[in-house]
Amino acid sequence: MLTLNDVVIRYGSAVAVDGVSLSVERGEMVALVGPNGAGKSSLVNAISGVVPVASGSIRLDARSAQVPEGRQMFADMSVEDNLRLGAWKSKDRDPAPIYEMLPDLQRLRRQKAGTLSGGQQQMVAVGRALMAKPELLLIDELSLGLAPLVVAGLADHLQKLNREHGTTILLIEQEIALAFRLCERAYVLEAGRIVASGESAELALDPALRDAYLGGEVGGTPRREDAS
Amino acid sequence: MNDFITYLVSGVAIGCAFALIGSGFVVVHRVTRVVNFTQGTLAVFGGLIASTLLKGALPHGIAEIVAVLSAGVIGLIFGFIATGKRGTPPLISLLITLGLSTLSAAFFILFWGQNPISPPGIGGATDVLGARIETQRLLVVVVTVIAFVVLSLFFDRSYVGKGLTAAASNPRAARLVGINVRWMGFLSFGIAGVLGGLAGVLIAPTNAVSFASDLPLALGGFAAAVFGGLVSVWRTLLGGIVLGVVGQLVAGYLSGSYQTEVALLMMLAIMIVRYKSLSAEEAK
Amino acid sequence: MTRRIPALVVCVAAVIALVVPLFLPDLSFYIQMILAAVIVTGLSLFMGYAGQASLGHGAFVAVGALTVAVMTVRLGLPPLLALICAPILAAVFAYIVGLPLLRLRGHYLAFGTLALLLIVQAVIATVPFFGGGLGIFGVPPLGVGDAVISGQLPYVYLSLAVLALALLISRNVIRSRFGRGVRALAGSESAAASSGVPVLRTKLAVFALSAAFAGLAGGIMAFFTPYVSSESFPVATSIAYIIMAVIGGLGSLWGGVIGAVLVSLLVQVLNAVSNQPGLPATTGPVLQYGAYALVLILALLFIPKGIVPTIAQAMRRRRDRRADAAAPTDVAVEPWASVQG
Repeated sequence: MLTLNDVVIRYGSAVAVDGVSLSVERGEMVALVGPNGAGKSSLVNAISGVVPVASGSIRLDARSAQVPEGRQMFADMSVEDNLRLGAWKSKDRDPAPIYEMLPDLQRLRRQKAGTLSGGQQQMVAVGRALMAKPELLLIDELSLGLAPLVVAGLADHLQKLNREHGTTILLIEQEIALAFRLCERAYVLEAGRIVASGESAELALDPALRDAYLGGEVGGTPRREDAS
Repeated sequence: MNDFITYLVSGVAIGCAFALIGSGFVVVHRVTRVVNFTQGTLAVFGGLIASTLLKGALPHGIAEIVAVLSAGVIGLIFGFIATGKRGTPPLISLLITLGLSTLSAAFFILFWGQNPISPPGIGGATDVLGARIETQRLLVVVVTVIAFVVLSLFFDRSYVGKGLTAAASNPRAARLVGINVRWMGFLSFGIAGVLGGLAGVLIAPTNAVSFASDLPLALGGFAAAVFGGLVSVWRTLLGGIVLGVVGQLVAGYLSGSYQTEVALLMMLAIMIVRYKSLSAEEAK
Repeated sequence: MTRRIPALVVCVAAVIALVVPLFLPDLSFYIQMILAAVIVTGLSLFMGYAGQASLGHGAFVAVGALTVAVMTVRLGLPPLLALICAPILAAVFAYIVGLPLLRLRGHYLAFGTLALLLIVQAVIATVPFFGGGLGIFGVPPLGVGDAVISGQLPYVYLSLAVLALALLISRNVIRSRFGRGVRALAGSESAAASSGVPVLRTKLAVFALSAAFAGLAGGIMAFFTPYVSSESFPVATSIAYIIMAVIGGLGSLWGGVIGAVLVSLLVQVLNAVSNQPGLPATTGPVLQYGAYALVLILALLFIPKGIVPTIAQAMRRRRDRRADAAAPTDVAVEPWASVQG
């Protein structure tokens, strides 16, 4: 469904992504993990087509939609307007199916998106992306800045989406434990290169990875690394 | 008292033209962060094209509508030139629109000469509270109010209008849902052209326009837009009317020659006093 | 900055500038061009280094010219004293209006400065002491006591001397510690502020300095013309200064001079064309506005950095390739790079 072949992304003279190849099959739920500034957001933005690729190729034979890092609400507009704008490119702008899937949004639909909590906004962002009826959902930082309980709720929704609706998901996540729990397969990106990939269960046992991420998970507010 | 009402109504009428021009500034600025210096020029285009079409025996109504739409197309082209090149900073785009308004001045002189031109409006006068008011001035007010209602309905209710607002409020997210933010920018210039053209068509019968009218019209419009913090269309209408009325009262009771100074000083004062909140609103 | 234009080129240009007027029948155009270069040098300093646009720089030219006209004609003071006061008053005026005005940025400042010019015009036109509707006629020739300048040539050399002075001052400002602070402004005001540059004071100082250049040029203009009115400083001329500054290259020392010379020559050629017999009277303004506009638009779109930095960059690149040695350390400022409208 999605194949990246030796993709290079540059901003001026800085190389953000340096020869990445990966693939995602229909119906999978795959994680792309790595530290801040590894090039994860650049990669997902390139897949969405908003960041140009310097060399290499991206083959995507499915409709995709992105849940961007930091939620990116249309803050002064209502939740319903946010959802409807998600369907900019399609004819069907009825948010009812989304409300069915994420009932909380129905309750909030008249509220301005900017006034919602982080978790609610993340739900709007997911709903907005789903309005485009994507076969592949790209999620850039699901857990960032959210309370664990909220993240768990969102993770349930995503798993349901993947299992019941067959939506393929590529999850960008800094919280490696969460990513490995949710996704059966994962790629580890470091300084623009894939340094490890495979089954999440096996990767989780890799001593090098465990030392680097799982043990010493660093907190703090990460900064945006993409130049949009 | 009669004088007062005359000044008041003509002030409101001029203020409405400023407000239409100012709302063009607002629409373009909201979507592109660019201040479109051709906003006054577009009004001159409207007025002059209408005058030529009316001479060419197009009936009232049709001629004005064609003139307004032409101004819209010209605005679109201006937007394309000023913001079409990727990565052009807003201040460079402003200077390009400055160039475009100068280029238009050459164009105006070439085709319409240097003298002010006043196309025929709807003639006659109407009694308002005992004062004789040119009917054209009342028409300006009515059409402006309708235009503002349509404009805010467009932004609040229509899907494309919401797309424009979305592109303004979060360009990154707008791009991700598939909105072509650059084209939304061009579209905003087109809308600004229609608004400017409308102002020109309405005001030209009572205040003749020439190649030199672009600057006073643009300044008046910008001052009105500053009232609205360059983001609010309705406050721009209010600002335009305040500006127009104060200007006319000063001209009527003190001296006509102070009118410019008063308008400019008002604009400067608002900008300086409100600068902090203006930049805060822009940063949103 | 100066290393980018070799000393030899500067010497040749200076010799040409000094010799050419000896062979020209009428020097009005030449003087206008030199004075424009003085004004644009200051404007370029402000726009390039403060990263802001002033659309109304004519206001300071007006203050300088008016200082001369009022002091000599109205007050009967010695011409030389008036000329010395012209830049000082222009700078003081810029400082005072700059206190509120320079808190504005981007398009607000652009419109604010434009409004300032229009207000200055309106004040000159309405206050009889400043000329009113008629203007102030009969500014006496420049001189000390009975020794009076006659003819055009001395004004040319005075203007050239002033230009040299303006360039020298600009060069020293750019190279100084202060200049580095100013340059930081064009990058990012908040970054400049956090690294200890007093933002408003620095901007005010550059604004006042560029106004002093404009005021001095205006003062010389008043002696040369010798007439000052509200119509002597049209908005179009201030816009022409911007065009010259942008074309030459904002924030480059020689950009102002090159821009002023190129645009003035262009306008002069167009005037010659439009004065051909048989053409309608509107040919002049049409050609002039059209040329100004096209030059500005094309320059902004295709050489946004301006001529001088673009050429300097190309030359440096060639030199680097040839020498393959360490690049010179003076990096061209990229004005506007971070300026948000």
